[in-house]
Amino acid sequence: MTALVADQITKSYTSGRVETPVLQGMSIALDERELALVLGPSGSGKSTLLAILSGLLKPDTGNVSALGEDLWKKSRADLEKFRLEHTGFVFQGFNLFPALTALEQVMLPLDYLGLPRHAVRNMALASLEEVGLASRAHLRPIELSGGEKQRIAIARALAKKPQFLFADEPTSALDSVNGKNVIDALHRVARVYGATVVCVSHDTRLAADADRIIHMADGRILSDVKQISASAPSRLQTAETKS
Amino acid sequence: MVALARKTLIYEWRKFLPAALAVAFSGLLLLMMTALMFGIFSSAGVYVSRSGGDIWAGYPGTQTVELGRPIPRDTEMWLRMDPAVVQVEPFQWLDGDWRGPAERGSVSVFISGIDPNPNGLMFSHVLGPTDRALLNEPGAVIVDAADLSKLGLDIGGTAFLNGHRVKIVAAANGLRTLGGVNIVTSIATARTLVSDAAERDKVAYYIARLAPGANPDAVRDRLAPIATGHRFAVWTHDEFAYNAATYWMFETGAGLGFIFLSFVVFLVGVVITSQTLFAAVASSVREYAMLNALGAGIGALRRVILEQAFWVGTVGVIVGSVVSISLALLAHGQDVPISFNYIATIACGALVMAIALISGFLAVGAINHLEPANLLR
Repeated sequence: MTALVADQITKSYTSGRVETPVLQGMSIALDERELALVLGPSGSGKSTLLAILSGLLKPDTGNVSALGEDLWKKSRADLEKFRLEHTGFVFQGFNLFPALTALEQVMLPLDYLGLPRHAVRNMALASLEEVGLASRAHLRPIELSGGEKQRIAIARALAKKPQFLFADEPTSALDSVNGKNVIDALHRVARVYGATVVCVSHDTRLAADADRIIHMADGRILSDVKQISASAPSRLQTAETKS
Repeated sequence: MVALARKTLIYEWRKFLPAALAVAFSGLLLLMMTALMFGIFSSAGVYVSRSGGDIWAGYPGTQTVELGRPIPRDTEMWLRMDPAVVQVEPFQWLDGDWRGPAERGSVSVFISGIDPNPNGLMFSHVLGPTDRALLNEPGAVIVDAADLSKLGLDIGGTAFLNGHRVKIVAAANGLRTLGGVNIVTSIATARTLVSDAAERDKVAYYIARLAPGANPDAVRDRLAPIATGHRFAVWTHDEFAYNAATYWMFETGAGLGFIFLSFVVFLVGVVITSQTLFAAVASSVREYAMLNALGAGIGALRRVILEQAFWVGTVGVIVGSVVSISLALLAHGQDVPISFNYIATIACGALVMAIALISGFLAVGAINHLEPANLLR
């Protein structure tokens, strides 16, 4: 079922008098339970597309509709509420608070949902379990490897069981084993929770695991291919090398 | 809730320490200025605050002891006629010209002529019976220990006061007044020092002690109509001390200067604290942007920063208090006139917290234009 629709979106950045178009009338429809991989060179507009689809960046023209709601007709507060309830993010930088333990990093966004404390704790622990880091729950970012930090970030994003998960270059700082772990986790989010997962990358290793591969260049879609993904991921508690 | 504000403060204390220190030292400066001002101006009220007695009688309209003028001799009788009054003594106050060692030239002084009896009221908190007895010797004077060097003499030294030979028989602590050296002598010696022969029998003040349990306000109200008809006025002890302090604080412009200086300290405190707090918050802006992307409202993030500002303020107040207490002890040992007033100290604490919280509101600016989309670049 279609969960996320972008219709004729355009976006350009202005620097001084020079206006650079980034997205030029792009339309796309993404299904639930789908891991879509957006590939393209730097400057192709893939990160901008992700920002607009996820409700972080307003397009110049066009509409984005998620779960049947027009995102860019919402106020800032309503948009924050929508993201809080439905959206998870995994960014290239892990953006973890240095002062918090892994468990607290995952609990923090759940707190804003207004759930009881024990529920928040249980959800966070379950999410850490999901990415195979339950045993590292008490450690701070400085005590974790890069791969572990990214998995904490994923646990944080999927703890609330979001309908949408947006990932921006989630594997770029990781070696191949950790990269594989991360893409497995994203795949699992799509399969197990039925989420729509959009992953932007120029890491072609990820292609084998995606349900759909969208190639972009110069703000346009070059190709859009659905495929049967190569591997069905198991749980993520695979051995990991420190990066 | 995960205590993000406190955990970050504790874990990244080095980032927040400059802000806490800015708060602490603003507080220290405010408190010390206040203490110094109260210290200096309470010495204006030394004549009253260091003496016993419940009722003062003096020239009508007198704001502070130094502005006293001779009053009629029958004032003493009017005071004694009140049933609550059990003791009345005269207090002479006059300007003097002190000539000590030749190289010192002349020093302008204030002369206090007091009753040297062991149960005398004037300066009863400073001078005990032994010191008072020494004043019975004609020409004997007592000065504050801190003033000895100013006079260029030690105990036992002699000088000329208003042309009469006097001798320093003792030194005491707590006689220092604002504006001049306080020379304490007996009322008999003081009388010889009055230059105008016509005024020699008159004194500037009478002090009355009331029977235990008597209400000074009631006695003052009873005496007031009599005083009006006989060219003197009456005040309670507390009233006269308060008048002296407010006179020096507000009539001389010193109070206004102090308030202005406090405002400057407050402003400097806010500027420095907000800048350091801003830098500490700005260093976490990517993490805040991440939380905002995940749906934490900007209002909730502002509250985190304000909570941090509150704790920075609390730590600042604690550090400031510890340093202030240490400095106050040091100052007391060095005869620096500082005095802590309960209300003023609380007011300083409140101002310091205001510095921290205003800085918090300004530091919130670091996340006002939070753009989580920038995390995608």
